[in-house]
Amino acid sequence: MAQKRMSAEDTKVAMHSVVGEMYDKIVNGEPPTMTLPVRTKTNIGFDKKLGVYKYGKKRSTRDATSLGSAKQLLRALHVIEFIEEMINSGKSSTLREMYYISESWGLGKFGSQNESNNLAEDLEIVTKCLREDFKLRPEEDGARMIGNLTLQERNRRGEWMRINARDDVGDSGYGVPYNVEKEKIELLEHDINFIMAIETGGMFDRLVENGFDEDYKCGLLHLKGQPARSTRRIIKRMSEEWDLPVVVFLDGDPWSFRIFASIAYGAIKTAHISEYLATPSATYLGITADDIMAYELPSDDLSKKDIEALNAELTDPRFADSWWQEQINMMLELGKKAEQQSLAKYGLDFVTDTYLPEKLAELGLA
Amino acid sequence: MSGIAQKLAANQKQVAISEFFEKNKHFLGFDSLSRSLITAVKEAVDNALDACEEARILPTINVQVTKIDAKKDIIELTVEDNGPGIPQKSIEKVFGQLLFGSRFHAIRQSRGQQGIGITGVVMYSQLTTGKPTHVKSKIATEATAAVVDIGLDTRKNKATKSNSGREIWEEENGEIKKHGLEVTCRMKAKYQKGRQSVWQYLRMTSIVNPHAEITFTDPEGEIHFWPRVTERLPRKVESIKPHPHGILLGQLQRMLSESKDSRMSVFLRMNFSGVSGRAAKELCAAAEIEFNLKPKSMKPEQMRALLEAFQGEKMFNGKPVKLLNPPTNCLSPIEEMLIKKGLSKTIDSRYATTMTRVPNVSLGNPYQVEVGLIFGGNMAADKPVEVLRFANRVPLMYQQGGCLLTKAIESVDWRQYGLDQPGAKGVPKGPAAILVHLASTNVQFTSEAKEALAENGEVIEEVRKAMLEMGRGLRKHLEKKKKMAKTKEKFELINDILPAIAKKSAEILARPIPNLSGSITKIMSAVISESETEWNKATKMTDVSIKIYNYTARARAYTILATWPEKSGGIIKNNAFGGRKEATGVWAWKLETLQPGENLTITFSLDGLEKGDWTETDVFYRGSQEIIGALKMDEKYLDEIRNQEKIMQELVAKSESHYTESSPNEETTQNEEEPQPEPAVKPPTGQATLFGGEL
Repeated sequence: MAQKRMSAEDTKVAMHSVVGEMYDKIVNGEPPTMTLPVRTKTNIGFDKKLGVYKYGKKRSTRDATSLGSAKQLLRALHVIEFIEEMINSGKSSTLREMYYISESWGLGKFGSQNESNNLAEDLEIVTKCLREDFKLRPEEDGARMIGNLTLQERNRRGEWMRINARDDVGDSGYGVPYNVEKEKIELLEHDINFIMAIETGGMFDRLVENGFDEDYKCGLLHLKGQPARSTRRIIKRMSEEWDLPVVVFLDGDPWSFRIFASIAYGAIKTAHISEYLATPSATYLGITADDIMAYELPSDDLSKKDIEALNAELTDPRFADSWWQEQINMMLELGKKAEQQSLAKYGLDFVTDTYLPEKLAELGLA
Repeated sequence: MSGIAQKLAANQKQVAISEFFEKNKHFLGFDSLSRSLITAVKEAVDNALDACEEARILPTINVQVTKIDAKKDIIELTVEDNGPGIPQKSIEKVFGQLLFGSRFHAIRQSRGQQGIGITGVVMYSQLTTGKPTHVKSKIATEATAAVVDIGLDTRKNKATKSNSGREIWEEENGEIKKHGLEVTCRMKAKYQKGRQSVWQYLRMTSIVNPHAEITFTDPEGEIHFWPRVTERLPRKVESIKPHPHGILLGQLQRMLSESKDSRMSVFLRMNFSGVSGRAAKELCAAAEIEFNLKPKSMKPEQMRALLEAFQGEKMFNGKPVKLLNPPTNCLSPIEEMLIKKGLSKTIDSRYATTMTRVPNVSLGNPYQVEVGLIFGGNMAADKPVEVLRFANRVPLMYQQGGCLLTKAIESVDWRQYGLDQPGAKGVPKGPAAILVHLASTNVQFTSEAKEALAENGEVIEEVRKAMLEMGRGLRKHLEKKKKMAKTKEKFELINDILPAIAKKSAEILARPIPNLSGSITKIMSAVISESETEWNKATKMTDVSIKIYNYTARARAYTILATWPEKSGGIIKNNAFGGRKEATGVWAWKLETLQPGENLTITFSLDGLEKGDWTETDVFYRGSQEIIGALKMDEKYLDEIRNQEKIMQELVAKSESHYTESSPNEETTQNEEEPQPEPAVKPPTGQATLFGGEL
């Protein structure tokens, strides 16, 4: 299912075709160009075969007729050259390191880290390579996991290390590295019934302290807000390779809805690799708009930005199904949002003794 | 002509001056403690500037305001200049006698039309503190300075002098001062800051007197300095005779009664401007008076008839008598370039445009409008623009809303020129200042306070026209700035980025670096102009270069036009490309063919200018394909310039014919024993223009 990994040679060939497009245009007396899909929600569609949202057919051509675009092309060339050098010398760098290295690229240097991140993604899209193929590492913070599951990770000395995420780790759990591909991590065995992804560290620690993973035979995973690629990737691998259900437990607000969408359907920014990162079988557990009413949770009024985000979600193809439309509209009507930890209103154990068992029972998981 | 002035002249022997002063202090400029100080500074500084101008001296003026007694609002004011000084025996008259001074006797543009003069300051000081005014004066031919304290005997309207003597006047550097005047007076007054302050008055004065150096020491001891930015003195203004269109009955009466001429035709020709020998006879005929009637024996109804003939109400052969316009050399405009310098030295800005319209005549009075607009820099963007109003180089600081000059500004829809103006009403908002200067032999004010100019349709239209033109200039500037930024980007693209893309892609692919010309043409697909205007230190000239690139696939032909400050004395040199003059201040070059991928540079230098005079050259084109970085020639713009040229030529022609018609040769052929015309004839009474107009 996962995208085929490219060899170093294939990666170079793919990158050279990007360079070739520019070069040939100049030879033919045209402005150099780079063609890539439009990366907004207007150009993502559901891929029935893969069960995730992917970029559609809309293409934009970045051509060197404006200064901004021309600089982007030049930067792309510098990035390609830099990647080739890394491939040839067996090195890798973080996106942030590349941003600083670009200081020496003269006219091709980046204006901000955001620019360099976006360009790396652009290159992934047009070459169909992965960031890992480019030897570029994210800065992003990987997840942590606790639960009776065992995997092995290749350490810096190249040796495989066997780790049980319940017995071999401290209270902070197993830290998921940035690369969770097979050459780095092997999933070995488990004794759990499902995986629960949790938005906030506070709630993760609460469940750990209350021994929820053992009581309900599950793997707990702390998303750390908007989940990093590697977090989404390991969720997908566990779900697929171990055939485990995934439930997602987040705050009850428009931003949490987006986090869920990126886990289950794919993020707009990474729609080119959705089939590689998204877990279509994931389920949204809570907090839902009706939870706010049913459990009479302490809530805050929606801000202007919240309302804008909810309205944007109404037209987002990923939220097109009736359950989501209902939830979003209900939240808009209610005008309220609630945090996970508002469940503490009924005591520290309420979440593990009452709320989660009730919600899991609905899904047939408890 | 002036009711108050006449009354004053007639009654001054009976009415105690102090009483008169007390009654009229609001329009004499002494109605509030803060305004009194400004008025005093104004009188002294105007005198200094006028005296220097007459003596052709570059003025250096020091103003110092000191608080003597803060509780009682007692202030000491000292104004020192480097003017010609006043001979000892005249000091008393200048400072002590009301309405003494040459400027009340001739019709010409002068600062002193406003206010009661320095005597008012002496009087106010005396009345509020009991102190006389201390005067120190040195003239070049004497070794020492005369000093004297001048007070006023308000009952007799006579100066009282005391402590007179002579002393050695040393300057700060220890040298003997060559000539100059220093006036020190003590008065009840208040020093204020802000828009209506001594500081603002001097700042504005400095803008319209770029040839003056002004130093101001405020009561806190802070020194404000406005440097001299030109060595050029204002043009010496000529006195002119009154024009029949602008004359009123009272004035005509006085002129007639004091005339020594033997007959009316001579009287008319010799005492008025614009009246030829032929016109004089026609006027007499229209008014049905004998042309050889003795002026002194004119009857009142004849005077009225003559006045009607002046106004064209009584006609000759069914037509109003044709009169020539008065000469306009009696006006002394500041001139575009100097306004620009004055504004630029005072206010930090990015863009300045100024304009001096050709002189015009309204009701027999020559007038001339000058405007300036500066934009950008440190000025506040969200406040109304600063309006700087001037009449005959004198700042107008009060009653802005009621002034013709303000109304002219408000009549323009500034929104289309890049300034904010909610509802297209009122003074626009934005980081700008607008200057308006009206120079005229007879400035009409709304009231005796002389702070706002009275409505006059012709003048308002003239100011409005100038405003519109400046507005267009501002819009062009803003558009040009935008386009230039865009052009700069394009050049960076093709000169730097594209070659880098070609080189890098060739390196990565290990292929030869490709030729860029095709891509460049496609990317630019435009004709582009870049112009530079730079001061050349070595040659002391301003170098201008205009580069035209053809980045299109076809050969192009254009006429390129550029502006240069011809009216301000700029002379085109080293113009290798030739071309020809298109209109005043606009040069044109014909570009027959510019092949695809080719570029061409027009260069020339401007002589006769100082550094900073000319910093931006406007480039225009005529041709079908747009040139980025240049503006399509708006033929209306040229028409307006040519129109102004025509008016100017007509004026010159008229003033020449004016003088030929009254030349001695003509006299003999006409066989009339008429005296030779004098350059200026003094109106019989001096107060004609004291308050500037009828009440």
